[in-house]
Amino acid sequence: MTASLRYTELPALADHESGFEAVWVSTSDRNGTYRVLPDGRCDIILRFDARLTPLKAITVVVTGPTTRFYDVALEPGMGFVGIRMRPGFFERILGFAPATLADDNLVGDDAFAALPVLKDLCSPALNHAELAARLTAFVRQRSIGSRLEPAPISASVISAFHAAGGRLRVGDVAAMHKISERTVQRIFLKAIGLKPKAFAAILQFHRALRLLRDHRLSPTEAALEAGYADQAHMNRAFRRMGGFSPARLPDVTLVTLGE
Amino acid sequence: MTATLGYSILYVADVVATVSFYEAAFGLKRKFVHESNLYAEMETGQTTLAFAGEAMAEMNGFAIRANRRTDLAAGFELVLIFADPHEAYRNAVAAGASPLKPPEEKPWGQIVGYVRDINGCLVEIASVMPS
Repeated sequence: MTASLRYTELPALADHESGFEAVWVSTSDRNGTYRVLPDGRCDIILRFDARLTPLKAITVVVTGPTTRFYDVALEPGMGFVGIRMRPGFFERILGFAPATLADDNLVGDDAFAALPVLKDLCSPALNHAELAARLTAFVRQRSIGSRLEPAPISASVISAFHAAGGRLRVGDVAAMHKISERTVQRIFLKAIGLKPKAFAAILQFHRALRLLRDHRLSPTEAALEAGYADQAHMNRAFRRMGGFSPARLPDVTLVTLGE
Repeated sequence: MTATLGYSILYVADVVATVSFYEAAFGLKRKFVHESNLYAEMETGQTTLAFAGEAMAEMNGFAIRANRRTDLAAGFELVLIFADPHEAYRNAVAAGASPLKPPEEKPWGQIVGYVRDINGCLVEIASVMPS
């Protein structure tokens, strides 16, 4: 795993109302791999050769919600513009449920088969800024044109999981909102495409990573604050979701989750 | 070293809705609402009452149990002082506060009632403590 990818978010382009919490750009300057950590989010990504002008041979990638890490092979000059969708907006924007794409993704023709209008994103562009503008306009138009409305309780339930850093049990969150656990399960499968327990584990993993990396807590302190039973429990979660040990954190990108 | 109590910050699901509620229910005035709608302060004298969006907790790296009207109340309360707690209680309930205990006179002469706000947080409605 090498950090050969420069990842930048373009905060001015984020549009929560239209269902995307981040627009990001990255380019690779060498051969290597980039480790993608599970974040409970789905992205629409345009991949291109950043060395060509205008940008051509643009490939669409739709990533589903993941529960463990995966590595992306990189070549020099490989460029990406991506949009990260908010929970509850995947189906509005793409027309199919995120659960159908759990731990999976759609690349090129497979993405077009699922949603033919994605082809419109692939015409040549002058630069990545034009691609970012095209992608945001596409997502905004799909989102506004959709008749699917998320259940009002959905945002409140998902926010409670986020605020708790994944530390509350599904039954606790259900009780807080006076709804059944089954309803919480349905909300998560529909809005995020994962079961709530899997999503909570991802939030807990991200928070523990930040406690170690940004707050500089010791592994023992971080495990306790993040709500793991003990350090061994945290180690297992890190191996499963990140493929690394809390004692040796690699230089990974932690995306901004804006719920 | 002496500390002073500077702020009480409630983490809420909807900052703007909470500010509007505190204006309507308790007659407080808004001092400041950040353009992100994730933080706001009210005019409350020496100690500022502020509201922060739940996303702020996550951004700051801590985890909380979210306040919900349908949940058990968290173990703290705000106390707001009014000249007429009976009238204040009626106004608060009319504006959407959940009634909990109508104002009554305590043995020490203070009039005290309780409501829960739209986030489920406990708010005590009281008269000034008799000297």
